[in-house]
Amino acid sequence: MTTYDAYDRTTVDDTTAGRPDGAELAALDGLIAHTTAQGVPVLHAPRPGEITAGLFFRVGRADETLPTSGITHLVEHLALHRLGLSDLHYNGATANAYTLFHVTGSEAEVVAYLNAVCAALRDLPLDRLETEKEILRTEAAGRGAGPGTPMPLWRYGAQGYGLSSYDELGTLRLTADEVRQWAETRFTRDNAVLWITSDHVPDGLDLTLPAGRRIPAPAPSSALPVTPAYIRGEDGHVVLTSVLRRTTAAAVFTDVLGRALYQDLRQEGGYSYTADADYSPRDADFATLTAYADALPRKQAAVVGGFVDTLARLRAGRIEQAELDAVRGKMLKMYDTPDLGAALLPTYALSLLLGHRLLSPEQHKAELNAVTVADLREVAREVWDGALLQVPTQEAEWAGFTPAPQYSSTPVVGTRHPSLEDDDVTLVIGEQGVSLLLPGGPVTVRFHSCAAMTARPDGARELTGLDGFRVAIEPTLFRGVTAQRIAALDAAVPAELVVPLPARDPERIPRPRERQSGARAAGNADGGKAARRWPLGLIGMVVLDVVFVLAILTAALDASDAEHPAWYYLARAIVPGAMLAYYTHRAYRRAQDARG
Amino acid sequence: MSRSSGGGEGDGGRAERASALVTDPFDAHPGLAPLRTAARAGDWAATQDFFAGLDSVDKTSVAVGAFGGIAGTETYLEKAVAALPGDPLARTLLAERYIRIGWEIRSGARAEHVSRDQFDRFHSWLRKAEQLLIEVCAEQPAYAPAWTSRITLARGLQLGQSEARRRYDRLSAHHPHHFSAQTQLLQQVCPKWGGSWEAAHGFAQECAASAPDGSHAGILVAEAHIEHWLELEDSEATAYMHGVPVRDDLRHAALVSVLHSAYRQDWHWITGHSTFALAFSLGGHLEDAARHFAALGSMASESSWQYLGNWQSRFMKFRKAALATL
Repeated sequence: MTTYDAYDRTTVDDTTAGRPDGAELAALDGLIAHTTAQGVPVLHAPRPGEITAGLFFRVGRADETLPTSGITHLVEHLALHRLGLSDLHYNGATANAYTLFHVTGSEAEVVAYLNAVCAALRDLPLDRLETEKEILRTEAAGRGAGPGTPMPLWRYGAQGYGLSSYDELGTLRLTADEVRQWAETRFTRDNAVLWITSDHVPDGLDLTLPAGRRIPAPAPSSALPVTPAYIRGEDGHVVLTSVLRRTTAAAVFTDVLGRALYQDLRQEGGYSYTADADYSPRDADFATLTAYADALPRKQAAVVGGFVDTLARLRAGRIEQAELDAVRGKMLKMYDTPDLGAALLPTYALSLLLGHRLLSPEQHKAELNAVTVADLREVAREVWDGALLQVPTQEAEWAGFTPAPQYSSTPVVGTRHPSLEDDDVTLVIGEQGVSLLLPGGPVTVRFHSCAAMTARPDGARELTGLDGFRVAIEPTLFRGVTAQRIAALDAAVPAELVVPLPARDPERIPRPRERQSGARAAGNADGGKAARRWPLGLIGMVVLDVVFVLAILTAALDASDAEHPAWYYLARAIVPGAMLAYYTHRAYRRAQDARG
Repeated sequence: MSRSSGGGEGDGGRAERASALVTDPFDAHPGLAPLRTAARAGDWAATQDFFAGLDSVDKTSVAVGAFGGIAGTETYLEKAVAALPGDPLARTLLAERYIRIGWEIRSGARAEHVSRDQFDRFHSWLRKAEQLLIEVCAEQPAYAPAWTSRITLARGLQLGQSEARRRYDRLSAHHPHHFSAQTQLLQQVCPKWGGSWEAAHGFAQECAASAPDGSHAGILVAEAHIEHWLELEDSEATAYMHGVPVRDDLRHAALVSVLHSAYRQDWHWITGHSTFALAFSLGGHLEDAARHFAALGSMASESSWQYLGNWQSRFMKFRKAALATL
């Protein structure tokens, strides 16, 4: 039972125009039959041999919030629990925008499975809740993060489509009521589509589910003010994502890009072993393109360079007709499959579920045949315009990518708690939120846009903003973070956003290390995302200096008389002058460090 | 970085006047002169005509490099780029100019002597150049001058050894013995830019060995030795260049390149003889140096010589000593 983001890239794509209805289902005539069972739309087409069926629900990780994340996955697990250790080939999958229960077996087995899933969804075995939460936590620990895991959080923040970057925090706090209510409102007959490889709807099928409504996929949030943007990622991987309108040309382009990367980075350059691109529908109208290449440590720079050049080549429209024809041919060949209707069922079911327009095979083939090199160039430009690149190298500004935001725009005002490890880091706990003041800028989470706060019994708190910025508060590492200050935090964050974490072994509660200078500490203090900013502190100090000097000179000249000559006033300015000079120097050093 | 002494030369008394040397490539190669005229006049049509008339990619790269040294051409180039967005030449010349502006800000000093502000401004010019050339190379992957400049950019932007090499490989797929690019990559593979002596000498030898007789690639062997000499301490440096292995290496490299009967005197020849003249002079091999000084006459290229402080007068001294052996 896995969580993944892509279902099937054999996409039948088109710019969409509204929700599919009876008229649109006509596109399937002669290929796929459609009906309903207990109010659930059913698509079916025959295929010899065992039957495969899939029950889709239009709910996934993107519908959750950070403190409830994992709730869909939990429902999926609970729904499958009673099926236990049967030999049946079945599984469940929770993606960003849908959940799928699927099964392969005899008609009787498939019916038994689907009936059991729906029965469980009507009445979840919530006595199993704590055990399943534990299982999900174990599953997550064993899964490990893939190379592109952070990308969604940088694009979307800690909400919606960005949640797939995060742990399933809900597995630490969800209650039976919340899970039951989620199932009642999201796993409804009106939010489902069934597909089945059969020429008839099997007898005995009972998909009875509560009534509800079709919930459209969530609107995307944005945490990326400027694209193309880049972030630094781990060694060995180059990843690029972009969001594209769902068109046939976009799907073709993705394959052309995958082949071009493979050709340029592996066959020609020998810099990569894997180089490919993937196209996954995100919602009704948009898809996520993901391009990936791995890199040997000594070849990383060349992989980034080659990646940039391959994209530039496609953007310039230098695409051989043969490249387009090869991809087109491969996609057209898909229609030569025997039992075509059955093969296309999952794709059509997902389109129906998401509200993406349904194209008949003929319509889709016609669109494929109409794609030109110029269309691909347009898609390449769209990819570039919305790109987020993750590089293992120092930076990617040279190639025209802007660093994704590393700091929040402003800090909050409140009690100041200097770091016990680093003179240049200060924690601020205020009425509006919390900030970590780093040499390069502030990292702020405001209570009104807080996504979640984890809490340990020893007082440690970690706040994550909807924009993805994070402030970790370890009371042992900052001066004056008393139980009262933590209590103030707890009072300010809504209870439903608090995720309790278990007590730590006292050994694991951090203790201050040797003090450090600011330049190195920026990377240690646990802040979120760092772009270059104006050195506001320094500018402020310089302005203050100018005002001070002008004021002193004016005073000295205006007020001087026989008894108090000008030097008398000037001498009195020496101590404040020296202090200003000291603080200006300090601000200058910080500004320098920030740029480091 | 400049170096005061290579040793080996006898001071032949009064140095000749350095001003007698012709060092400006536009003066040394009459064929280049119309480009300078066009550049100074800000005449894009004439600039374009000049490049259209060149018969080799080697010449094009030399001309682009020489053009980059002419200050103040940005304005008319920026207009040309705006007017001809698909034209590789206008963008490449402009990029080359941006690289020079950036490098002048950075100066030739070792990184530890360059301020953070200098680096920021340097990188900012280089990024402008790079983004122009990413497009040019994407549109015209066989356009050698753009790739050549991108090898320089990979170095200045510190993109890493493998990226610089990738750029060279992309270029050499179309132009396997392109000297302007080879000399740029040689800089990258030297220890000062993150390479090693093994890599530097290896690359020079590899280029020389794979090129046909009478091509420029042998000059790289001399360049690598001069770079190596520059990094060594005084006594070691002298011993290095005086050593028989280096001398034999240089002799062979000169014989297969600038001294070969098949060598064509295009716009690299002054650089070639100047480099060998320097390498042999530094090693005290005056008779070997003499052949190259003799070939140069009053010409000289500052390419490798600029490592020497007051290089023109050193050139005259070395030349005098060498020619005295004839």
